[in-house]
Amino acid sequence: MFKITSLDGNQRMSTQDLLEAINEAITTGETEFEIEASGQHDIGGPLWHPEGKTLKISVKNPGQRVGSMCLEGTEIVVEGSASADVGWLNAGGKIVVRGDAGDTAAHCAAAGTIYIGGRAGTRSGSMMKHDPLDTAPEFWILKNCGSFSFEFMSGGIAVVCGYDSEQFESILGDRSCVGMVGGTLYFRGNASGISQKDVKILALEAEDIAYLDGNMNDFLTSIARPEIRAELSNWTEWHKVVPLTYDERPKMANATIQGFRTEKWIPGGIFSDVCKDNFGVIGLVTTDLYRQRVPVWENGLYAAPCEFNCPASIPSQLRFNLLREGKIDEAYKMVLDYTPFPGSVCGAVCPNICMDECTRKKVDISVQIGKLGTHSVEVTVPKAENKTGKKVAIIGGGAAGLTAAWQLTRLGHEVTVFEADERMGGKMEQVIPRSRLPQKTLSTELKRIEDMGVVFKTNTNVDKQKFVEIRDQHDAVLVATGGHIGRVFPWPGNERLIKGIDFLKAVNKGKNPSVGKRVIVIGCGNSGMDAAVGAYQMGAEEVTCIDVQRPAADAIEIEHVEELGGKILWPVFTQEITEQGIITKTGELIPADTVIINVGDMPDLDFLPEGIALERGHLKPSANYQIADGVYTAGDTVKPGRLVDAIGAAGEAALAVDTYLTGNVHESVVKTKIDPKRLSTAYFEKCHSCDVPQANEDHLRCISCGTCRDCHMCEKACPENAITRTKNPDGTFEYSSDPKKCIGCGICAGMCPCGIWLMHDNKEPINI
Amino acid sequence: METVSTQDVTVNDLPWKIEYKPERCTMCGNCVAACTFRAIEPVVERRSVTFSTGKQPDPVSKHSAVLVIKQKNSLAQACTGCGMCEKTCPNQAIKPVRNQDSRFNVLARKGGSPIKRGGRTNLDRGRTLDNIIVGRISQMTDPALDSERHTFDILAPFGRVLSPKDIPLSINNNEMNLTGKLPPVNWIYPVIFSDMSIGALSTRAWEAVSLATAYLNEKYNMPVRMSSGEGGMPVKLLESEQLKYMILQIASGHFGWNRIVKAIPKMKVDPAGILIKIGQGAKPGDGGLLPAAKVASHVQAIRGVPKADLMSPPNHQGLYSIEESVQKMFLSMNAAFKFRVPVAIKCAASATSVSVYNNLLRDPYRICGGFFLDGIQGGTGAANEISLDHTGHPIVSKTRECYLSAVKQGRQGQIPLWSGGGIGLTGNAAADAFKMICLGANGVFIGKLLIQLMGCVGNENDRCNRCSTGKCPAGICTQDPRLVERLDIDKAAQNIVEYMLALDSELKKLMAPIGNSSVPVGRSDALVTTDRAIAEKLAIQYVC
Repeated sequence: MFKITSLDGNQRMSTQDLLEAINEAITTGETEFEIEASGQHDIGGPLWHPEGKTLKISVKNPGQRVGSMCLEGTEIVVEGSASADVGWLNAGGKIVVRGDAGDTAAHCAAAGTIYIGGRAGTRSGSMMKHDPLDTAPEFWILKNCGSFSFEFMSGGIAVVCGYDSEQFESILGDRSCVGMVGGTLYFRGNASGISQKDVKILALEAEDIAYLDGNMNDFLTSIARPEIRAELSNWTEWHKVVPLTYDERPKMANATIQGFRTEKWIPGGIFSDVCKDNFGVIGLVTTDLYRQRVPVWENGLYAAPCEFNCPASIPSQLRFNLLREGKIDEAYKMVLDYTPFPGSVCGAVCPNICMDECTRKKVDISVQIGKLGTHSVEVTVPKAENKTGKKVAIIGGGAAGLTAAWQLTRLGHEVTVFEADERMGGKMEQVIPRSRLPQKTLSTELKRIEDMGVVFKTNTNVDKQKFVEIRDQHDAVLVATGGHIGRVFPWPGNERLIKGIDFLKAVNKGKNPSVGKRVIVIGCGNSGMDAAVGAYQMGAEEVTCIDVQRPAADAIEIEHVEELGGKILWPVFTQEITEQGIITKTGELIPADTVIINVGDMPDLDFLPEGIALERGHLKPSANYQIADGVYTAGDTVKPGRLVDAIGAAGEAALAVDTYLTGNVHESVVKTKIDPKRLSTAYFEKCHSCDVPQANEDHLRCISCGTCRDCHMCEKACPENAITRTKNPDGTFEYSSDPKKCIGCGICAGMCPCGIWLMHDNKEPINI
Repeated sequence: METVSTQDVTVNDLPWKIEYKPERCTMCGNCVAACTFRAIEPVVERRSVTFSTGKQPDPVSKHSAVLVIKQKNSLAQACTGCGMCEKTCPNQAIKPVRNQDSRFNVLARKGGSPIKRGGRTNLDRGRTLDNIIVGRISQMTDPALDSERHTFDILAPFGRVLSPKDIPLSINNNEMNLTGKLPPVNWIYPVIFSDMSIGALSTRAWEAVSLATAYLNEKYNMPVRMSSGEGGMPVKLLESEQLKYMILQIASGHFGWNRIVKAIPKMKVDPAGILIKIGQGAKPGDGGLLPAAKVASHVQAIRGVPKADLMSPPNHQGLYSIEESVQKMFLSMNAAFKFRVPVAIKCAASATSVSVYNNLLRDPYRICGGFFLDGIQGGTGAANEISLDHTGHPIVSKTRECYLSAVKQGRQGQIPLWSGGGIGLTGNAAADAFKMICLGANGVFIGKLLIQLMGCVGNENDRCNRCSTGKCPAGICTQDPRLVERLDIDKAAQNIVEYMLALDSELKKLMAPIGNSSVPVGRSDALVTTDRAIAEKLAIQYVC
């Protein structure tokens, strides 16, 4: 027995001296110690006997950390109370404090046993651990402990017996077990403020009772209170605290907004008075009502560029579509609904502005709409079945008059055309060089008109008196006398000028009008070019065409003149015409033997009655082509233009006449041109010019702008299989998209070569 | 051959380019169906190739036409980088990629119109707050607190706080009695959900914020308050118990106040406060702007306006000076709610802010219940980009100056200072809030961060931010029911709630180390910076 008293009168041993004295005694083999301490720290550990014998230490009045880092084989009994940190980092010793313990008792104890026979301070049992190499540390407290007890406890067993603690609201103090992740805590009596987010409180089970029951005697004996065994053995008063398992711990806030919204929140939502909402949620991709966009099959709603640019609005894409379908006869006949001259005009004279903006040009060259017309020269259409009995007189047998006659006859009227010349055809017959318009084509097409039932009266000059007569004998009159008076400017020497129209008429009549070797043609329009060609035919050797501005003639006509050797000069301003030629305003002489002027032709309207509105020598009809009651006009009488302009205007004028005669209203559909961005030309392989097919096989190249070509691309490409093609009883077909399937992606629109599908914003109102 | 001229706009002029991998694309149509800006479209492309496989040149031509997804080369339909295409693509075949060589900002003023957008400034001027660290940690000098265990009083005043000597007290028979009236003060969470109007936000987004506010109060006892924004209030909310969580804003347009006034007699509780908006950090000197595309029927009803571009004047029409605003607006607002509800004022931070604050502090009527300062990095639903990027004032030093000016007069804390504009810009609002508070703010307000939590993909690198177009792909800044339906109100609110719970923990993680269990207003000793200029300007410790 090693006894030591740390006080000698006023002299107190330092902690170091006391601990070194104990260590010294152990090295001499001492195993039992009785220490009268006076607040020295760290008594009791870490100590070990050289032969492994048990060290028994009895201490009075220790300082902090009695039994700190205590090792197995050390038994410490503190008589009375101990200060803070009893059994700090206990690694296997048995430490008994018969009185109270200070704060942080058993802090970080990881093995051994700590018994407190009274109360323990705050943070007792905090951060206890259990090293799996050792048995679990045990920490028993007879009475109660302070706040923050067992915080961050991670292993071992703690027992708080709650003896003599009824006066406390919580025998574990406040906020016990915060951060506890391991071990087991048993307590008897009341406890509150236990960290619910870390632990759960359970009733004891048999094995718990077995543990407490089995160790209670050792605890009470050690702290010398065996008499209270029975009081502490009512197991129903005990509780067990274990940490939530890792899986039981909420990893996230347990917010349940939906329940809150439906149960506690303002019913129906705060905006339910002004904006209904069922709070349904859609994905980024959705069908039907909530699609952002809907596809619309806009077949035929927009004009193809050819149709739009043609003054007669000939929908050539429809003709090619019929050809593609193998309906060849239908395709050839269709054009006759728009013009009686597909061969003479479309196929021969017309500059074919329909082809200027042909979408196919983006791939290679325009489809051959003009040439297609020549395939319609020989076709015929049936006569009108229902006759109206109305008689219409048409004055002038040119493009405008004959077109009107053709249309009106097909509408069932009885039509007579009065022509001053000996032959029908107007300028097509009289003025346009035969090289541009084969006479056989023209005569075939004229015959088709006559065969339709139109009565031709040639060599009929209409003067004022004749006009009155014709008007009396007919229900309506259409004036289509064109322009036949060549315009001349009042230049000095203008009597030397030959009017182009007269010159060309003479050529076509075979009168061989004589020209000099050098010819000047003033005016570089198409008829100027015709005059130049005519001059060469009549023996000219050098033709110069002049104009004050860029020549208005089509490139192909200019090219033709240039091939013959002609020169085009502009801008050239004429000052005077002399025997030598033309003197320009700059004083130059352009030598010429003959000067032909071709600056436009004015209509001869002397046969019309007084009071008809004129503007700069031309008729000024109302919007429906009327110039007097029952009297209509179209063509060059109104405004100089191309043949196709006359055909387009005459077609419309014919409908106006029909409305006048029958009251049938013909609604004019003015289509806008299709947006070229809607068309997909990428499908079409570029043709070498040598591969370009015949015009009647050009349906292979026609895009069919704005009109469905029935290719099924959209139907096949739709990712939702929403598109179906249905055939109507009348033989037509349509495509539709099922809103229940369609997600509004626009693949149909992107896929369509013809630009039929368009994605519209979904405007369907949402009513909740 | 299709011609392209140098002045044609092509996709390489746009801020975002679509990276598309045709070999991964299944043509499901999702990306085009999801894109709200119509920035991409399906088109057919030509694949004409000539090749030779023989032993000598032997040309074979192959033509095919394939469907692809293509970006539109249009300024009006420029890709915004929102990434909805990428989100919906099952095959990772498509995504937007930022175009470093974008010419958009040069070209986009079409028709003579200034560029308009939402979001925050896109010009990165650096963030002062990121150069400040919490560098004074309680260790040996004084105990740090345990953020997990300790009790924290995370509260800030909304209302005029009197100096102790001004409190009307008398002592009678050893009893202290109040002999006069005190201005109302509400102690609330130091992070306010700031003013995004009904109209700027979709009904669902606005309601989600108000739901989250109520939820945080009722389930987690976090006294967070939400400001209505300048577009009025839903009548149902005005007449509910939850009105107590709301701060009602009035701006120069006074939108929606007819319904608020009419609801006053029916109010079961007082609102948390009134906020007079004078200006906004994102576009100081410019009024509110709600483009016609977003003026839906409910917005027309609540605001009492037709469908039109709604512009609030840059000034309150009847106010000409600070004194005037104190006299008129503060008094009217106080009077309307029977002097029970604190009234604060919100201004864009400015070179003149300190003078305004001093003036309010010296106001003898002690009627101003808070000074809200909004900095240049604040967000907006619609502004001219020139205002967003080139006007405004940094919030950090301005807050500090106001605070120190009050300290000099011994009046700090009397008119609570609330700071906003870029709080949470880098994602951590707790850090920003803490630093602003240490520099002298009583609290902060957050806006853009809230919509980002709800699903907004906009950012300060010019991603999306098309809040002004009404085409918000997240259903947040739009009134198009087809887009609003995309927003899950519960998830939106949940994200805000969870962020705020985390923010609360994070605030404690900063308060604990400096040993403060209450909001550390003005504890600039807790902050250090490695930037000398910042240290000098803010009067905090320079470290390196």
